[in-house]
Amino acid sequence: MLRSLVHFFLIGGLLFGSKAVCERSRIEGPSITIRVAADATDADVETAVRESILLNEARRYHWDRTDPIVYTHLIRNMRFIEPDTEDDDLTLFERAVAMNMQAHDPIVRARLLHRAREALAFVPEDRMPSSAELEEHRRTHGDRFEREGRVRFQHVFLSRSRRGAALAAHAREMRARLTALGDSPPAGLGDPLPGLRPEQSATPSDLQDTYGLELAGVVEEAVVGPWRGPVSSVYGLHFVKVIDTEPAYVPLLDVIGAEVRADRLREIRKELRQERMAALREAYRIQIERAP
Amino acid sequence: MPRTFLRALVALTLIGASFGCSEDNPSTVTDEFGRCADFEPLRQVFWGDTHIHTELSLDANMQGTRTTQDDAYAFVRGEPIALQPYSEDGTPTRMAAIDRPLDFVMLSDHAEFLGTLKVCNDPSSPGYDARQCVNYRAAQQFAASPQEVSDTFVELNAFTAAEPQRARYPELCGTGGEYCLEAGMDIWRQVVSDAEAAYDRSGACKLTTFPGYEWSGAPRVKNLHRNVMFKNEKVTALPYNYFDEPYAEGLWASLREECVDAGTGCDVLTIPHNSNLSEGIYFENEMANGEPFTSEYVEARNAMEPVIEIYQHKGASECLPGAATADELCGFEVIPFSNLATTNLEQITPPDPKGFLRYAYGEGMRFEGSLGTNPFQYGITAATDTHISAPGFVAEDDFKGHGGAGQPNRFLPPPPGFPDIEYLSPGGLTAVWAEENARDAIFSAIRRKETFGTSGPRMTVRMFGGWDYPTNLCNAADLVAQADAAGVPMGGTLEPQPALSAPVFVVSAMQDPTSAPLQRIQIVKGWLDGDAYQVQVFEIDGDANNGASVDLATCARQGEGSGDLCGVWQDPDFDPGQRAYYYARVLENPSCRWTTWQCSTAEYDCADWDYAGCVERKDDFPPSDYTCDCCDPAAGLNQAFCDGISCADLGSLSDAEERCCHQVEPTIQERAWSSPIWYQPPN
Repeated sequence: MLRSLVHFFLIGGLLFGSKAVCERSRIEGPSITIRVAADATDADVETAVRESILLNEARRYHWDRTDPIVYTHLIRNMRFIEPDTEDDDLTLFERAVAMNMQAHDPIVRARLLHRAREALAFVPEDRMPSSAELEEHRRTHGDRFEREGRVRFQHVFLSRSRRGAALAAHAREMRARLTALGDSPPAGLGDPLPGLRPEQSATPSDLQDTYGLELAGVVEEAVVGPWRGPVSSVYGLHFVKVIDTEPAYVPLLDVIGAEVRADRLREIRKELRQERMAALREAYRIQIERAP
Repeated sequence: MPRTFLRALVALTLIGASFGCSEDNPSTVTDEFGRCADFEPLRQVFWGDTHIHTELSLDANMQGTRTTQDDAYAFVRGEPIALQPYSEDGTPTRMAAIDRPLDFVMLSDHAEFLGTLKVCNDPSSPGYDARQCVNYRAAQQFAASPQEVSDTFVELNAFTAAEPQRARYPELCGTGGEYCLEAGMDIWRQVVSDAEAAYDRSGACKLTTFPGYEWSGAPRVKNLHRNVMFKNEKVTALPYNYFDEPYAEGLWASLREECVDAGTGCDVLTIPHNSNLSEGIYFENEMANGEPFTSEYVEARNAMEPVIEIYQHKGASECLPGAATADELCGFEVIPFSNLATTNLEQITPPDPKGFLRYAYGEGMRFEGSLGTNPFQYGITAATDTHISAPGFVAEDDFKGHGGAGQPNRFLPPPPGFPDIEYLSPGGLTAVWAEENARDAIFSAIRRKETFGTSGPRMTVRMFGGWDYPTNLCNAADLVAQADAAGVPMGGTLEPQPALSAPVFVVSAMQDPTSAPLQRIQIVKGWLDGDAYQVQVFEIDGDANNGASVDLATCARQGEGSGDLCGVWQDPDFDPGQRAYYYARVLENPSCRWTTWQCSTAEYDCADWDYAGCVERKDDFPPSDYTCDCCDPAAGLNQAFCDGISCADLGSLSDAEERCCHQVEPTIQERAWSSPIWYQPPN
């Protein structure tokens, strides 16, 4: 938390402060020149611009000199280059910095970018979502929180392994018996199967996971009233009768508040990254040079 | 000193602690029993994984796992997850996705180093500059060598292998462990909060989450690990670990005092696992003070540990081939190691039969005779123990590796051969029979042991025991209602019924629709005959000789099986004066093991195989290749090399030949194990 806060103040607070000072005194912001390949696409250029800004920010706040991971890494580099050296770590680090090693090392670059991106996404207290904001988020992003529609149906099963070659004939008989039932429940009909219930409420995806695509498809059609089937699965043949359907819905905030909050925070972090990046881009003067 | 500090810290924290508070959990709806749209009084099956590690675990973290608990929850819901190795710019080189969402999950990162990782990664922490943290961060760097990673991991992880009386936090945590204790509490709070955010409190009840962690005590590398599972967001302030409570009894006592007896709505249980890697001490008759069990100890253990994990990445703990009973199916995923160190170092060592569940069940009945209570009356669960944040990722044809304890797949390029050592496997799943997919119902099902474990496939098994079930019960559409009304479900205990001759069991099973058909149902009976325990396996439905097989070149399954099976069985040798247990084992037709799956799609030629060369290149990166892996006799596919080799005198064999004596099976029979039903004779 503290580290993120420090990052925020450095990269965000100081930047915005210095930007305001620049505007008041008409002092121009940082200026960088970015070299890209001659055939670089717009996307390549944009990536290069963003990374260069973040790296420059990291260096402006001397993370390339103060970050412990960078420090350790540069010393390791130096000891690799100078295996017989008797200099202490600090001396080696200073020599690495004097050689500008931190400017070119890919590990240092990755580390600095990581810290800068982490700082960009820090959520300050005043951006933590209120209940009203969460409710708005739930309402406007219903697709993220939507619960699948359900179907209540009756189910009769005939086992292939139990009935063998007689399965098809038994299915014809069962079809006739079910049709004759009218609205009566199919009590005692068919074979047992672990987990199979004579009447249950399920989502089509639950049914697909349990019985396969074909049965799920028939139930999902949700034709209320008649017995449908036989429908085949790896277990045998099924008959289903849809009793009722419940459409997809978005639960209330009282119910899924923690889920909505976590989702909104992910979004806020993304927004903050974009806002802060945009502010940085506005403050910087960028010059692109394409390699010949 | 550490204990004093610990108690003070807990006391201070409890004064102000309120997990699941309104800031972290804006949900205000209480989790009432019966709130789910799909509620079934006769109970329905739900699938879950209760053993998952993410970047918060030291071993996973050092091995390159960067995915978070949030990522693991996303994975459970069906979203893809990034896997190591990562390229220099942080791009993952592998991805994984589960084929079907899970219903419930408990993430179980190692509690011992939750705080350590935070201390070492936080420059504002007083322990940040400690040598161990400096080494840890160096080992995290992209350019670190496998040896550096291994050395750093071993130095830190060794603290979990200290004798209990010497268990303590690493030096980086401060003299009393205070830096890591405080940091660990922060992480634990986040763990609980993340579990809250992922828990579906709506009527849809799509995903149930439980806050939890792993207590990772392993004195002298003998595994005594236990997963700690809380029922809801009411948890203890500290995630008690081996350094806080180095004996299981201490762990149970703290959990009881600060959770179960605290009157806050907190409830908790612990799930033992990998007794197979305990060198036979997991079920030892010894309390922390060195004395034999007392009835008070047994009751405490029983109350806290209703179930055990029978199978996961690091092997099965059901039974050992040749140990005391003739059961040809005991060879399933038995790893040839006796403890955690030999597993991590791949040093073949014979497992100890005393580390297996059959032994525990037998011993438990013996204790029951003398102490009045059975300390090992475990129900059954199974899990993955994934260290790549991939709960329930059990597919044999897509195994990405266990990913813990320094296995090499952190390093680029991605391994072109097996992603892990051949003896590990994709692990299994826990299934529970519960009224609805919500915390109360799932937790209660585990507590009453109405659970079963599978080796991965979602084959559904239901078992009841009673005294007067009709022989044609399998034909009854209302089988469950009848069986439930007149007997007990899996995990239950049959009371004596002197007027009736012998207990009757009904077991019904259905295959996973995406996996192999079923081959047969067995009932494994164990009983106490005087002071000796016996085991016998009975076939109750299906056909062991159904001719099903596998084409090893393509992994195509051949032959018929059954979509569902059901059998009613009465014990033919029942003695009402003998203690007994009965559990169901349901077997699929044979299918390819993950090693065979990988070799079936790889290009290799064992004519080019050079074992010595493969060993020499073992520490290189890439570490191996498919020729080395698939032709290695240990993978079970190079029968041409192994033909004629006798394992009677291992000393006479070359290293390569000896590998023929420790082969994995090229095909497996995936299976489910139900919780037993026990019979207790009248006193």
